[in-house]
Amino acid sequence: MLITGIKSKPVYAPLQPDLRGRYHLMVGHGVGGEPLLRVLGDLQTAAPSSGAHTQILYVTDAAAADSITGQIRAAKVANVRLFERGDELLAAFQAVLAGSLMGTRLYVAGPESFMGLVMRIALQFNLNKDEIRAEECGTLARRVYCIHCCSATENVRTNITQCGCGRWLVVRDHYSRRLAAYMGVMVDAEAPGELPPVKEVFL
Amino acid sequence: MNHADTIVVRVVAIEQVTPQIKHFTLAPAAGGNFPAFSGGSHIIVVMRGVNRIHRNPYSLMSSPGQLETYEVSVRRMEQSRGGSHFMHDQVQVGNELEIAHPVNLFPLDKIARKHLLIAGGIGITPFMAQLADLRTAGVPYELHYATRSPEHCAFGGLLSEREPGRVQKYYDCTGELIDFEGLLSNQPLGTHVYVCGPAPMIEKVVATARERGWPDSHIHWEQFSAPPVGDAFDVYLARSSLKVHVVPDQSLLESIEAAGVEVPYLCRGGVCGFCRTKVVEVDGTLVHNDHFLSDEEKASGKTIMPCVSRARCSKLVLDL
Ligand code: FES
Repeated sequence: MLITGIKSKPVYAPLQPDLRGRYHLMVGHGVGGEPLLRVLGDLQTAAPSSGAHTQILYVTDAAAADSITGQIRAAKVANVRLFERGDELLAAFQAVLAGSLMGTRLYVAGPESFMGLVMRIALQFNLNKDEIRAEECGTLARRVYCIHCCSATENVRTNITQCGCGRWLVVRDHYSRRLAAYMGVMVDAEAPGELPPVKEVFL
Repeated sequence: MNHADTIVVRVVAIEQVTPQIKHFTLAPAAGGNFPAFSGGSHIIVVMRGVNRIHRNPYSLMSSPGQLETYEVSVRRMEQSRGGSHFMHDQVQVGNELEIAHPVNLFPLDKIARKHLLIAGGIGITPFMAQLADLRTAGVPYELHYATRSPEHCAFGGLLSEREPGRVQKYYDCTGELIDFEGLLSNQPLGTHVYVCGPAPMIEKVVATARERGWPDSHIHWEQFSAPPVGDAFDVYLARSSLKVHVVPDQSLLESIEAAGVEVPYLCRGGVCGFCRTKVVEVDGTLVHNDHFLSDEEKASGKTIMPCVSRARCSKLVLDL
């Protein structure tokens, strides 16, 4: 009983360089490093001088090969910053946006829940669809917001999950950009303890 | 929008604000308040002349927080087909006119982090109401306003008074030009640019913004074209089985309306797309003057915006 077909589910596509941009800001997490390197290569081929206006913020994690991290560290761009944790990157990302000018394009790649957190900050800076390219890769694990206790659970891979408040939630496709999470709704409200089969669906 | 839902208004004040611009204050003839609107809205003013009805769009300039009156400014167009001359020469305090409900085709972006307003001449009008909204919105903004000379700078004094430090004026007569490049190269992320003024100014701002990497969703412009004068031609309305003659100084839309056929419209200036009409047949060329159809649509000759466009032909057949 996964509730699907809801339009708010974000749409992602393979990263393409946007040559109309003057500044390029690339943000990635773990396996997102590969698509970032790919789009960086495409950008530098099409616009060889773009490196001077390109910055990369990247979270290294175990899911990504060391060679990717090495290549990102060595990228010929104005600024590369590596982070060990997502929240460190998000704080730095926010500071970079605060000092950025119109003409900036954002490229984001990583697991979906990371992308959601990045997008939420981008939204605060009024970045629109035509300024953002996003490619989801790696795990589809979701960040789930419990509509009953208002807390979020990270890395949910199953259709049904237990929130910290003890409630069993069904994970909907209804996504909130403001909360950067999918909505979780109590599944056994009518018949407490009666759960539909729990399946791994967000892999 | 059609003609039934107009509001009868009384002209309560007229002021000559520059050698070419008159400012009109209107109140509902039936008393009470006007409908609410947001900055950037326009109204259509219906002027019943002796043997012609003019319907011209004018931006609302009064504060959206004050609905006892609406204010519009009208520039006397040198090559007027009558509307602006009617407003300047015929309309007196106490007269009644009709207006259509306000429509906003030039709204401010609600989540912008900064608003950059650029006006040329009479293009200041939509910004007057937007500024009233912005003064209380708590979001940074600035206005760059170019006119021929201080004498032609409508509301210049009022703006300096209301917007200290946020308005910059430029006068052609002293050679001051807006530095579009500089202005559009240094705006913080989340800025929206709005431009209203003569066509070359709009083109320059849009082109410069794009060239400086601005995405289209942050670029806004408004330009109501006045329907240009052209050759006379005949139009056949296929569904109504009517033949209508279009004289040089009357628009296609006005001619069709005069024959009693209604076409939906919002702007009458080639912007909104509401009057879009199918062309069944034409034995010459369509003269497209709108800002709505794409170049391909214009080239295909299958549709026309009769509020501003016409034809150079002896026979045009429309699906009306
Ligand atoms: S009425 Fe708006 S385009 Fe014709």
